[in-house]
Amino acid sequence: MVKVLEIIITVILASGVGIFFLGLFRKIIARIHWRYGPPIIQPVLDIIKLFYQKGFSHGVIFDLGLILSLAGSIVLVLFIPFGGLCPLKTSGGLLVILYIMLFKSLGIALSGGEGANPNISIGISRKLILSLGYEVPFLLILVAVMTYYKTISIVEIVNAQRNFQWSLFSPLFLSGLAYFMILPAMLEIRPFDIASAPQEISSGPAVEYGGKYLALFHIEHAFSLFISIALFVDLLLGGGANPLFFFIKMLIVFTLGVFIHAVFPRFRIEQAIRYLWKWPTILALTGLISVVVIKL
Amino acid sequence: MALQILLLIAFTGAFLTYLLGKISSKLRNIFAVFISTVLLGIIAFLYGNFSEKIFYLEFLGLPLILRIDMFSWLFAISIAAIGTLSIIFSLSYIEGKERTDFYYLMMLLVNAGMLGIVLSGDLVSFYIFWEIMSWSAFLLISYNRGPALAAGMKYIIMSIIGSIAMLIGVLSIYTNYGTLTISEIAPQIASASSSYILFILILFAICFGVKGAVVPLHTWLPDAHSEAPSPFSAVLSGILIKMGVYGFLLIMYVIVGVKGALINLGSEILRFNYILAWLGAITIVIPTFIAMLQNDAKRLLAWHSIGQVGYMILGIAFGTSLSIAGGIFHFFNHATFKALLFMVVGAVEYRTKGIRDLNSLGGLIKKMPITFIAALVGACGLIGVPLTNGFVSKWLIYKTLILEGAPFLAFAALIGTWGTILSVYKFLHNMFLGQLPEKYKDIKEAPFSMQLPILVLSLVIFLFGILPGIPLRIINEIGTSFGFESLNLTIWGIVSEIGILNMMNIFFAILIASIIIWILFRKGEKSIPISQEDSYAAGSYIPKEKYHYTVEFYNPFYKMIKPYFRDFVDEFYSIIVKAVRNLSERVRKIYSGDLGYYVIYILLFSTILIILKMGLGLW
Repeated sequence: MVKVLEIIITVILASGVGIFFLGLFRKIIARIHWRYGPPIIQPVLDIIKLFYQKGFSHGVIFDLGLILSLAGSIVLVLFIPFGGLCPLKTSGGLLVILYIMLFKSLGIALSGGEGANPNISIGISRKLILSLGYEVPFLLILVAVMTYYKTISIVEIVNAQRNFQWSLFSPLFLSGLAYFMILPAMLEIRPFDIASAPQEISSGPAVEYGGKYLALFHIEHAFSLFISIALFVDLLLGGGANPLFFFIKMLIVFTLGVFIHAVFPRFRIEQAIRYLWKWPTILALTGLISVVVIKL
Repeated sequence: MALQILLLIAFTGAFLTYLLGKISSKLRNIFAVFISTVLLGIIAFLYGNFSEKIFYLEFLGLPLILRIDMFSWLFAISIAAIGTLSIIFSLSYIEGKERTDFYYLMMLLVNAGMLGIVLSGDLVSFYIFWEIMSWSAFLLISYNRGPALAAGMKYIIMSIIGSIAMLIGVLSIYTNYGTLTISEIAPQIASASSSYILFILILFAICFGVKGAVVPLHTWLPDAHSEAPSPFSAVLSGILIKMGVYGFLLIMYVIVGVKGALINLGSEILRFNYILAWLGAITIVIPTFIAMLQNDAKRLLAWHSIGQVGYMILGIAFGTSLSIAGGIFHFFNHATFKALLFMVVGAVEYRTKGIRDLNSLGGLIKKMPITFIAALVGACGLIGVPLTNGFVSKWLIYKTLILEGAPFLAFAALIGTWGTILSVYKFLHNMFLGQLPEKYKDIKEAPFSMQLPILVLSLVIFLFGILPGIPLRIINEIGTSFGFESLNLTIWGIVSEIGILNMMNIFFAILIASIIIWILFRKGEKSIPISQEDSYAAGSYIPKEKYHYTVEFYNPFYKMIKPYFRDFVDEFYSIIVKAVRNLSERVRKIYSGDLGYYVIYILLFSTILIILKMGLGLW
């Protein structure tokens, strides 16, 4: 019973944080642009409104793919420690997290694929290429972290960093730096919003979504924001003793990300890959080598 | 006794099928399915048997022995199961083509040969069955003639080189120990010097490496897989190349033994199994990226077969109880999902009259939904998405690699997965998603005899993905018989002090989350179904048939990686082939056909002999 309660609380908190970030995102950008910006609660209103609008369906997979992707994201939240809350910590650890992340991108890709729109095809092709781009340094970082702590359990990684022994200030420093460099790509914010580029390909995979489809897509996006940042905080900034501390750490990382988004133009896809496979990969590789040298 | 009858049924059944085909093709089809189901039934019945029997006393003075234990049982049941399903799939696929009797004969013969391999208890019968398998596979690969003939040639030449290496190994073992019975060699070879063990291992590794398509011995595979008839591609990729994996397990852990193969061999870093593990890692990464560049559906899958064999070799060579379990389990899983994917391509090929070019298909989900679901399940298995069996075996391999301090191998294995996603999504998207071209408007779903094997395999993938404990229990028994520690298994996964895998939890979490979102989705305003032409294009109309959304799917990326990811090994072999051909061409010029030249040759040769005799006094 306690477990069920923990699951419900985790999901609600995570979605709350994610949607809050969506609102904050627009607010900060507006202020940087010297505008006033919409109220922070705007995304919630949008999502409610969208549920009452008519959408168009292209077929069964068009619906199911989106549902599967959101389900994957929700399940993923249960695997990531959120300041002490981690309902499914004993079901497989970091390797499972890595693989459940697939549900998200595969679901959207399948759903979009049935949409039969050239913009979607371009968008998904870019999205998958981009994810291969950041996955190379990301996997190097994860392997370095797992090798350093000699565990595949994310809870143990968080526990090992208690009392301000953050990974970021340990021999994992280089990996941490590389992680921060690829974080915009994982969040799909500028300069890496290539897949959803609104001005070129009409938001790519989302172009055929309307009504409740768009609402679910927004919720999914909120969860993705939460997951990417929470993973960063857990792996490198020592997690959090309670959800509040955890949230503050997330907020700082997120705000830094938004600042980058506000001032950069967009990469082309091959420029993005070239960047991702150069500096972050070199840093992550050096990080991994240094960890191996220390641990041997 | 049962084993002899089993092989007798397998071989005579194959020839009887051929003869029955001369009478009536319907009778032949029924008989072929019947024979393969009977074999499946007998093998299933043999579960848990351990026996070793001499079935034919003297062959060149050597006893021929049949043997069954858990290790050979697991391989035998996979062979029989995939064999049966591919025969059922063949029923409509091969109908109306020429030489069908011959096709069935060879299909059954390949299966019989492979059953012989896994059931043989000495190296002579192993070698004989190995050759039966190789040659009947050659005949099937070149069944379609044309380019298939060249592909078959490439395969059989590489295969023969492998067989010769094995034959040398077998002869060497015989001259040293005077026996070729596996159970008798094992205790004797343990006391051999490590350099001799290494010599034997390398000879056998060449043979099994060719069959298992380990880089750099893989070059026959992409041609052979794409040119063979699809049901046979399923067998070829699902089972036949895995005979190499079986061979590696046999030579490393049954004959040489854990201690000989892992501990006493070579120096710290340059150990045999360590180098083999690195070959496995290379076999994962490079072919997976090359697969991304392919536009032929079967060729794409063929390159993935090489990549997935890499996981098995990596697991087997790394040599911890988890990695062995992962390697063997991945063999089984790969047999299911790769056979499934080749059958899917076969079904599409059957309905589109032989089209398997990914740039010209699309939108088939509307016409072939069941085939699409099967393709999706197979693709998820290939990637290793949780809830499919491919995930569990990969998880076992990753976990042991990370915890045993091999981070670079782990990275190679992990990045292989992400390369797989890109090419597999392209496979799905370009065949089934996107826009349905006008010319495929009237396509029908695949016939029942194709749907049945496809659905059975899809179910197996899910079942063993959610309840991996069932096959892992058998695999664990194999591991302990090799002398590894036993794993702590439950029906839903694996329990150990560091890292627990619980597939049940993951399954229910995803199921419940999906149901909740589904309810939410239903509560929202009802959506309007629209046709594929009715899509958003920024206010303008997208003309029909003007664009094809699947062509050059990853174009910007291709341009980046194409120069680096070519099959350099194949190019290298081609240079050698060319050089040999040129040389033979020159040698041939000696035989001019003119008698005068021959007289001169004889005279010259005699002069040289005389000079040698007079000048040097050699004899």
